[in-house]
Amino acid sequence: MASRVETPALRPVPFGRVGNGVIAALGVLVLWGLAAWIYQLTQGLIATGMRDVVSWGLYIFTFAFFVGLSAGGLIMASAAEVFGVKSLRPLSRLGVLTAAACVLVAAMTIIPDLGNPQRVWELFRYPNWSSPLVWDIVIIVVYFVFAVTDLTIMSRRTMEPSKRAKALRAMAYAGLPAAVLLHSITAWIFGLQVSRPWWNTSLMAPLFVTSAILSGTALIALAALAARRFDKIELPKETWSALATLMATAIAVDLFLVACDYITILWGNVPRERAALDLILPGGSWQALFWLEWIVGGLVPFVLLVVPRYRRRFDLLAIASVLVMVGVYAFRIELVVGGMLRPLVHLAPGNALGSYRLGSAVFQFDGVYHPTWVEYAIVTALFAFLSLLIVVGYRWLRPVERER
Amino acid sequence: MAATETSKKWGMVIDQNRCVGCWTCAVGCKEINNEPLGFWWNRILTASASEVTGESSPAAAAPASDSIDVPHGTFPNVDMAYLPTACQQCTDAPCVKVCPVGATFRRDDGAVLVDYERCIGCRYCMAACPYGIRVFNWGDAKQPVDFTVGFGQDYRTDGRLVFTPDRPRGVVEKCTWCVERIDNGEQPFCVEVCPVGARVFGDLADPTSEVAQLVEEGGATQLLPDLGTDPRVFYLPVDRERRV
Repeated sequence: MASRVETPALRPVPFGRVGNGVIAALGVLVLWGLAAWIYQLTQGLIATGMRDVVSWGLYIFTFAFFVGLSAGGLIMASAAEVFGVKSLRPLSRLGVLTAAACVLVAAMTIIPDLGNPQRVWELFRYPNWSSPLVWDIVIIVVYFVFAVTDLTIMSRRTMEPSKRAKALRAMAYAGLPAAVLLHSITAWIFGLQVSRPWWNTSLMAPLFVTSAILSGTALIALAALAARRFDKIELPKETWSALATLMATAIAVDLFLVACDYITILWGNVPRERAALDLILPGGSWQALFWLEWIVGGLVPFVLLVVPRYRRRFDLLAIASVLVMVGVYAFRIELVVGGMLRPLVHLAPGNALGSYRLGSAVFQFDGVYHPTWVEYAIVTALFAFLSLLIVVGYRWLRPVERER
Repeated sequence: MAATETSKKWGMVIDQNRCVGCWTCAVGCKEINNEPLGFWWNRILTASASEVTGESSPAAAAPASDSIDVPHGTFPNVDMAYLPTACQQCTDAPCVKVCPVGATFRRDDGAVLVDYERCIGCRYCMAACPYGIRVFNWGDAKQPVDFTVGFGQDYRTDGRLVFTPDRPRGVVEKCTWCVERIDNGEQPFCVEVCPVGARVFGDLADPTSEVAQLVEEGGATQLLPDLGTDPRVFYLPVDRERRV
C-alpha cells in the first residue's frame, strides 16, 4: 500500500493553451461578479430581486448547494479509511481538495447576502448561541481548518509514510462526525423554523446529508473524469464502479426520503403544508422543480449508473454526474419556493415589500421572486471561483495518484 | 432616557368585534415611526370571523381573496373580520432565538426590539417570524415628505439604538410597541389613534388592569397559538361569548 500513496513532487502540471484559456475565462467571470458585488454594495440589497415576502433567494440556496458539494472529500477519505472501501483511496486527496474549496466558497456566498457585510465580525464578537446560523459558522470554520490540515498532511513529502497513514486514518475518523454535523446544522438553519411548514421537518437533516453525499460524489466524479481526459490519469476500474454505486445508492435514499415527506404531507392534508407542496407537485406553478428532481436528476442518472451497459461508459458517467447536480440544485431551490412563496399568515393584502416604486403595488400577497443580473453575476462568479480553486489546486497538488 | 421598568409585563388586546378596518392605526404607526415608503409595521388583514378563534387559523383557511375587504363564503352566508397584524411581541420569540448576533432582543417588560447598530442584515429573523411582520431596508429609505413627522429622533434603551428616523441601509426593523412612548407613560400610538377603541394596552402583571381582565375573562386568543410562540398581543374574536 505504501508505494501506492507515494506523493509526487509539488510541481505544477503544465496546462497548455486550452487550460490557460479556461483559467482566463473563469478569471473574467470572477472579476465580473466582483464588479456586480461592488455595484450591489453601492445600491444595497435593493439591487437584488429579494423583498420582504421572499427575503432569501439565490444566495442562500446556492450557499446550501456549496455546503453540500463539500461532502465529497470526506466520503472519499472516510470510505477508504473507516469503511475499508479501498477502491476509492486514489481519490481521497482530490476529495479533500474539493471539500476545502467548496466550504470556503460556501462561506463566501453568505457575504453578498448580508445587508451589512462590514458588520460580519460581530458574528464572532456577539455570537447568540441559540442561533443555528452561529452553529453553522463554527462548523464551517472547523471543517475548513480540518480539510486544509488533511490536505497538508497528504501533501507533505517529508513525512514518514507509516506515520502519515496513521495521521490520515485519525483524520478520517474525526472528520466523519464533523461532516455529518456540517450538513445537519446547515439543514437545521431551515429545519428548525416553525414559521415555515415546508422546512419544519425532521427529515431536513437526513435529506441534506444524503443530497450532500450525492452532489459531493458527483463533483469528485467530474473532477476525476477531467483528470482522466486532460491529465491522462487512468484510475482502476473498481474506482469508477465505486463512484457509480455510491451515487446510485445516494439517489435512491434521497428520493426515498423526499417521497416520505410527500406522503406525510399528502395523507395528512394539512392546508399549510399542502400549500407549499402543491407549488412543486405536477400541476403546480413550480412543477419544473419536481421533474428536475425526480426525472432529470433522479431516474435518468439512476438508470445510467446502475445498468451495466451504461455504467462503464465515461461519457454517460459525466452526464449522470451533471444531472445529479442539477437535481440537487433543484432541491435547494425548493427551499425558497416551498418555504417562502406562501407565508404562514396568508391573508389580504399580504406583506409590504419594503420598497417603493411609483405605480407598483406596495403589498404582495403571494411571494414573487425574480433574481436580478446582480445576483446571477455574483453566483456565477462564485461557481467560477470554485472551479478556479479546484483547477489551480489540482495543478499544484496533483491530488490524483497514478496507478502503478 | 427612561430605563427599562422591569416590574411591568406589557400586553395588548385587539377587539376584532370593534375593528372596522379603517387602517388608522396602520397609518398612524407609519407616521409616528417615520416608516419609509413601502414599509408597513402594522397591516390590517382581512380574515374570516372564525379565524384566530381556534376553529381555523389564518394558515388553515383559504383566503377569500388577495384584496382587502372581501368577505369569505357565498351570499348570504358570508363572513368577514379584520385582523390588525403587527409584531406579536412573542414571549418565546423565534426572531430572538435565531438572530446570530443578538441584535433582536427581548426586554424584561416583554418588548421585542431590534438594535439598528448591531443588525448585520442576514434576515434570518424574517425567515423565522411566523407572522411576516418584519421589514428590511433593502435600499436607501425614501420618506414621503422632506420634513420631520412623528417621533423623529433617536431612541436608546440600555444604550442600544432601537429607533432612529434615519434608517440605516441593510437592517431589519419592526413594531416596537412605540417603545419611546411606553417608557414615558404613554400608550403605543396605534392604541391612541384607534377611532373605535378596539385596542387596549397595559400591564398584564396588574390583575386590575383592563388588558389583564380582558385576557383573563374576555375569551382572548393568540395568533397561531399552536406554534408555541406565546404572543403578548391578544385578539378578542368576533363570535365570542362575552361580546361587548
